[in-house]
Amino acid sequence: MKQWPLVVIGFLLIAGWPLVVHDVFLQRVGALVLLAAISASAWNLLGGYAGQVSVGHAVYFGAGAYASLGVYTELGWPPIAGAPVGVLVSMGISALVGTPTFRLRGHYFSMATIAAAELFRILAANWPLLGAAVGLMGPPVPRSVADLSFISPIPYHYLFLAVLVVLLGLTWLMQRSRMGYYLAAIRGGDRAARSLGVPVLRYKLYALLLSAGFTSIAGSLYAVMVGFIDPDSALGILISVKMLIVAALGGAGTLFGPLVGAIILIPLEETTNAMFGGGGSGITFIVYGAIILLVARFQPGGVAAFWAVVTDRVSAGRRAPAVPGSSRVS
Amino acid sequence: MILLQVVVSGLLMGSVYALFSSGLTLIWGMMNVVNFAHGDFVMLAMYAAFFAFTLLKLGPIFFIPGAAALLFVLGVVVYLGLVRHVAKGPMLAQILGTFGLALVLRYAAFWAFTANFVSLPDNLVGGTFDIGGLRVEASRLLAGVLALVITLSMHLVLTRTALGSRLLAVAEDRNAAMLMGIRPDRMQAIAWGIGAASTGVAGALIALFFYISPTVGESLSLIAFVVVCLGGFGSVPGALIAGLGIGVIEALSAYLIGAVYQDVVVYALFLGVLWVRPQGLLGTN
Amino acid sequence: MFLEARGIVKAFGAFRAVDGADLDVAEGEIVGLIGPNGAGKSTFFNCLSGDSEPTAGTIRFLGQGVTKGSPEAHARLGMARTFQMPVTFEDMTVVENVMVGAFLRHPHRAGAIRKAEQVLDFTGLAHLASSPARSLGTPGRKRLEIARALATEPRLLLLDEALAGLTPAEVRLAIELVRRIQGLGITIVIVEHIMEVILSLAERAVVFHQGKVIAQGAPRAVVDDPAVIAAYLGHHMKRVRM
Repeated sequence: MKQWPLVVIGFLLIAGWPLVVHDVFLQRVGALVLLAAISASAWNLLGGYAGQVSVGHAVYFGAGAYASLGVYTELGWPPIAGAPVGVLVSMGISALVGTPTFRLRGHYFSMATIAAAELFRILAANWPLLGAAVGLMGPPVPRSVADLSFISPIPYHYLFLAVLVVLLGLTWLMQRSRMGYYLAAIRGGDRAARSLGVPVLRYKLYALLLSAGFTSIAGSLYAVMVGFIDPDSALGILISVKMLIVAALGGAGTLFGPLVGAIILIPLEETTNAMFGGGGSGITFIVYGAIILLVARFQPGGVAAFWAVVTDRVSAGRRAPAVPGSSRVS
Repeated sequence: MILLQVVVSGLLMGSVYALFSSGLTLIWGMMNVVNFAHGDFVMLAMYAAFFAFTLLKLGPIFFIPGAAALLFVLGVVVYLGLVRHVAKGPMLAQILGTFGLALVLRYAAFWAFTANFVSLPDNLVGGTFDIGGLRVEASRLLAGVLALVITLSMHLVLTRTALGSRLLAVAEDRNAAMLMGIRPDRMQAIAWGIGAASTGVAGALIALFFYISPTVGESLSLIAFVVVCLGGFGSVPGALIAGLGIGVIEALSAYLIGAVYQDVVVYALFLGVLWVRPQGLLGTN
Repeated sequence: MFLEARGIVKAFGAFRAVDGADLDVAEGEIVGLIGPNGAGKSTFFNCLSGDSEPTAGTIRFLGQGVTKGSPEAHARLGMARTFQMPVTFEDMTVVENVMVGAFLRHPHRAGAIRKAEQVLDFTGLAHLASSPARSLGTPGRKRLEIARALATEPRLLLLDEALAGLTPAEVRLAIELVRRIQGLGITIVIVEHIMEVILSLAERAVVFHQGKVIAQGAPRAVVDDPAVIAAYLGHHMKRVRM
C-alpha cells in the first residue's frame, strides 16, 4: 500500500515516455518493453503465482501470433481480429495439455512443457497452412486503420500499455482474492493446500487458462506490430525462456516484477542487437543466461526480493521495533 | 533387411543416448536436481573433440578421454559454483540456474564458433563393416559399442564399488550418510563430475560421425530428459534400456514417416508416458 | 455415528501397513491413536483424512461415505488435519497462511481476514500475524498449522503428532490449546507416540500394532493391558537388539 505513490510515478513515466523521447529507436524500445511485460506478466500468473514453472509458453504466444496473421492470409481480416481466435485456441490447448501435465510436479512439469512446446514448433514448421518453415506475413501495406500497421511505435506503445494495465489490474484483483491466496498455497505445497480445501487441480487450470489467454494476446500484438512471424520467432524455445527470465529477474509471483524485469532486460537486448547487428542475438542470450544464472545463485526472488530487503531495512531503521513486513509487493 | 539396418543404427545411436542420459539420471538420483544444460555439455565435448583434432592433431584415443576429463572438471566446477547453492533454494531457482548456464554455454559457443556446422573428417575412424549384409560405419559401431561398455561400467561402479555405495548412501539419505562419515557435498561434486564426464565421452563419440553446431545441445537435452523420465529417475539400467529404445524409435520414425518428425514422435511418446505413468516406464514409486 | 471406519486395509504391494482396522468416534470426544513406530497409525490417519485411499474398507463421516473422497472434499465436509512435519506456506505471512484456511467458508477477503484474526487470537498467534511464516520455529509452525486447520471451521480435527518435538513447557501449552479446541465443540483425533500426552489428554485411546487395533478404552486401562505392554516391549527389545 505504501508503494502507491511509486506506482503512480512509474505509470506517468511509462505513459509519457514516447512523448518525451523523440528518437524512434527509444520509442520502439518503450513499446517492446511493454510487450515483454505483457507476456511475462501473463507467464507470471501460472509460473510465479501458482509456482508451476512452464518453459513452454511459446505455444500460447505462437497460437496468438499465428492466429492473427492466419486470419489475414486465409480470410483477409485485419490481423488483430485473430486475437480472440488465438485466445480460444490457446485455452483449448491449455485445457488439453494442462489437465494431464498438472499431475506432474516440479521439474517433471517443466520438462513436459518444453517437450509440448517443441512438438508444436516442429508441427507448425511443417504445416503448409501456417506457412511451414517460411512463416506468415501481415498486410504489406495497411488497408485501413484496422490493420494497426503504423510506422511510428507510438500507437503500439499506448495499445500495449492499455493491455498491460488491464492485465495487471486483473492480476491485482486476483492476488487479493481467494484465488490469489489459493495459488500461493499451491506454490507452497499441494498437499497442505488440499488439506485446507483448496481444489488444487481446478485452480492450477484457472491460472493456466488466464495465463495462456494473455500470453496469446501478447503473441497477437507481436504479430500485428512486427507483421512477420516464423516458427522460431513465434514458437521457439527462446520465446518461452524470455518470459521466464523477464519475470524471474523482476520477481516471480509479484505484481510488478515482470514489468521491472522487462524495463531492465529489453533495453539491454535492443542495445546489444543494435550494436552487434544480427549476430547480437547470440550476445543477448549470453547476457540473459548470465543474468538468470546470477539471479538464481544469489537472489532467487529477483529485484522484488532485493527491494523488499532494502525497504525493510529502511523502515526498520525508522521504526524502533523491527517488525518484518510482507515480502510481497502489493 | 532395410528395417533391420534401421534398427541397428538406432541401437548404436541409442547406446550413446544411454551414456549421457546415465549421467543425467545419476545427478537427478543424487540430489533431485535436473541439469538443463546437459545437452550443452555434450555440445561442448563435441567442440572439444573437434578442436583437439584440428588444432592439436590429437586422435580419438586422446580426445575421448581428454573430453571426459575436461567435462569432469566442468561438472565439479558447476556443482561447486552454482548447483550447490541453488539446490537449497526454491524450485524456480533450480530451474533458472542450470537453464541460465545452458543459455550461456549455447550462445557463447554460437558467438565463438559461429552458427556454421563443422565436423571431423569422415575417415578419422574410417571404413564400413559388412556383417551378413548389414552395413555399419566403423565410427558409429565404435561409438555405440564404447558407449555401451562405459554405461555398463558406470552401473558396475555404482553397484559394486566403495565409491558407488557412498554415492548411493548420499542419494538415499543425506543425513544418515553424514553420520556414517561420508561428506555429502564431496559425493555430490563427484556425481556431477561423473555425470558431466559421461557427456564428455558421449560428445567426443558423437563428433566422430555427426555434424557439430552450437545449438545441437538443445535437442540432446530433451532426449536426455525423455530417456531419464522413461527409464525412471536415478536408474542407470533404466536409462540404458530407455536410451536404446529411444534410439530405435527415432530411427524407425525417421525412416517410416520422415526425419523431420522423428522428434515429434519421441516427444509425443514422452508426454504420453508421463501422463499415464508420472514415475516413468521403468521407474518405481 | 460421527466418524466410523470399518475394516480399513492399506496395502503397499504385499505389505499391509493397515490390516483391517476399525474405529468409531463420537461427537465431542478426544481420541488418541497410539502404537509403536511403524504400527500403521499414521497410514490409517491418512486414510481418514483422504490423503490416501484405503485398499479395502469403508469410512463414514456424519453419515456420508467418504472412503474415496479427496482431501479437499474432506475439508469441505468439515474434517481438517495437521501434518507430522509441518508444511507452512513459507512465502506467506502467518495471517495469510490462516486466511487460506478461512477462505473455505468465507469466499470474500474481508470475511476471511476477520475469521483469520479471530483464529489467531484463539491460538495465541495474534502478535505474530504479519511475520513471515518462515521465521517461525517448530512450535510456532505446529501451532500455525492448527490455526490454519481451525480456520476451515472443522467439526473434526485430525492432529498428526502435533506435540512431537516440543519441550515439556511447550507440550503443556499445546495440551491446553487442544482442550480449548474441544471446548469449541470440535471432535479431535490425535496420533501420538508420547504416552504421557495421551494419558493427560485423550478420553479414549486406540492402540495400533502391526496394522491392527489391539486394544481400546480409557487410556489408563489400556496401558495396563498385557497385549499393549507386549507390543511396546517387543518393539523396544527389537530396537535394543538392533
